[in-house]
Amino acid sequence: MKAAQPGSELIASWDPHVAGSDPAFEALYAKLRPECLTLIGTYEDSRSALIPMAHLFQEHEGFTSPNALAAIAYQLELPLAVVESTISFYTLFYRRPVGRYMLQVCRNLSCIINGADAIMAYFREQLGIGHLQTTDDGLFSYEEVECLAACDRAPCMQVNLRFKYDLTPAMIDDMLAAMRAGRYDVKPLPQTKAPGRTWKVDEDTQPKSGGAVGVSNPNNAGGIGDRSGVIMLDRVVNDAAFAARSNERLVHEPKLRPASGDGGHH
Amino acid sequence: MASPVVEVLTKGIGELNLRDIAVYRETGGYVQLERAVKELGPQAVMDAATGANLRGRGGAGFPTGRKWSFLPNNGRPRYLVCNCDEAEPGTFKDHMLLEQTPHQIIEGILLGAFAIGCKHAYIYIRGEFQDGFEIMRDAVAQARAAGYIGKGICGTEYDLEFTIHRGAGAYICGEETGLLNSLEGKRGEPRLKPPFPAIKGLYGEPTVVNNVETLAYLPYILRNGVEWFAQAGPERSPGYKVVSISGHVKKPGNYEVPLGVTIRQLIDDCAGGLRDGRTFLGVQPGGGSSACLFEEHLDLSYDFDTIAKAGSMLGSGAMVVFDDTTDFVRASHALIRFYAHESCGQCTPCREGGQWIEKTLARLLDGRGVESDIEVLKSACHGITGLNLCALGDSIEPFLGSVLDRFEAQFRAYVGRERVAS
Repeated sequence: MKAAQPGSELIASWDPHVAGSDPAFEALYAKLRPECLTLIGTYEDSRSALIPMAHLFQEHEGFTSPNALAAIAYQLELPLAVVESTISFYTLFYRRPVGRYMLQVCRNLSCIINGADAIMAYFREQLGIGHLQTTDDGLFSYEEVECLAACDRAPCMQVNLRFKYDLTPAMIDDMLAAMRAGRYDVKPLPQTKAPGRTWKVDEDTQPKSGGAVGVSNPNNAGGIGDRSGVIMLDRVVNDAAFAARSNERLVHEPKLRPASGDGGHH
Repeated sequence: MASPVVEVLTKGIGELNLRDIAVYRETGGYVQLERAVKELGPQAVMDAATGANLRGRGGAGFPTGRKWSFLPNNGRPRYLVCNCDEAEPGTFKDHMLLEQTPHQIIEGILLGAFAIGCKHAYIYIRGEFQDGFEIMRDAVAQARAAGYIGKGICGTEYDLEFTIHRGAGAYICGEETGLLNSLEGKRGEPRLKPPFPAIKGLYGEPTVVNNVETLAYLPYILRNGVEWFAQAGPERSPGYKVVSISGHVKKPGNYEVPLGVTIRQLIDDCAGGLRDGRTFLGVQPGGGSSACLFEEHLDLSYDFDTIAKAGSMLGSGAMVVFDDTTDFVRASHALIRFYAHESCGQCTPCREGGQWIEKTLARLLDGRGVESDIEVLKSACHGITGLNLCALGDSIEPFLGSVLDRFEAQFRAYVGRERVAS
């Protein structure tokens, strides 16, 4: 069995009621809590703050950590599974640690007909890695992404979400050299945990048999399952105010129930 | 021939720092907002959008005034959401407007919100637009300080909250109901319609979703009059449009023109024509979701109805031009891979159709294709459109279908061929 990826060992271990589980994260939580409260107060429905809060934690941790998911779930009073299923929809949330420079090269039409194939091949060759992979030194993560809306200056890419246009092999040489020397004009991402080979959780879900690709044991570290149920039960038992609130929501706010009246499903 | 380029939304870009509210105000900015809230009233703004026949600039081309008129008078809160989730392949107009002239967008949103009686407006910005998000955040802070956002706008009774919401990487969130789900903190999966957002949108309340460019034209329609807009271009498809031109042209870029110019004018007079020594093979007139048009279509009027009649669509107004160096198998694969990647997976024809066409094209490119692959591709092209919740599924086959029909030989040539390059 494949070893769990770095970062995945913390699955949902964080809870403000369980002090000392991860002091570094607790400090971060305390620091970001006021900003989280502001985000929650911005919207008519607190759940709208889910994606902005994930951006916030990722900006500080370099990836959307299991602790961050748990902290978001706790603050929004949502099951962790709901937060995880939402976050997993969006490609810009890195679920495992990534390199200091996230190199995202466009592979869509206007870039492809203007030489993006050669640019992608050059990146792969220079970095020695492929699509969705991170170099062993933890410096570079590489992804081939969809249209970045900069087709007039193809081929284009983003480095840590900052645009770079009209790419040539010479530019790539300069770019990588500057990054290695620590003097590139885009700030490196924070790196609170060492990255593994990829940041995609799909890698955690190894096939059990020939036909079962993608089906994982939900209780595996890094699998889709987590201790959210246990944590929720624990809170319902120990925190009467929370239990009352969550019951009220389930009964009176059909919006929160996925199968009924979810914004117009009939 | 003279360039048909006009400057409305694009005026001052590259010359002035329009991110600075003082500079924007010197060009007449926020005057129309002040006039609307102090003198005109909401109905006049709504009438202006209707009278100008301002059709949506995001893709569907739906008349803006009519969209607003669907809002029920039920006393419920109403929301205006500006769609800045630009991700349609080939489209880069909103990206430019967001980064270069954020105040123009804000003024448009405020006017639209005022017209429909909305108290909280949102702009949903694509997650990748980190720079644009920061620029918009600064601009909103300036506008708030100047009294254009918040309580008592321009000293009137009108209050409006304004929230910038950043996405996180999903093309489907450009679909209006996917966008609303995403804004509610959910997976960006499109909803079943009806009910349409005008009846049941954000948080279940009446909501209007308008594109950046659509709203940005509002101040100018108020400033220059309904006739100014309505009389530019064809009667049923009037006004101006920022067209993103890329691909095999000398000067790719955004060009603002009156609708009704010809495709040939856009390619030759705006974008500098094809590269030297090359011949024209085709053009996608309205983003990745539109069918390819060819030589015989070059003199067609570039407007919503004419392009639709020719079997394609104006869409987001993004043209990708192909010369004779184009490998349409590779080009189709890049596009189909995009739709396969971005399908939210709710509807089987879209989820499976995209994946299987992508696999079939990849096999051809790998030199492992067989003769019957061509027939499979043709039949797949008829099995997806119209069978899905939203338009993403319907966008998979138009380009492939059109170029497969026209350049079938290119596809057949791949059968049994060794893979040449990467």
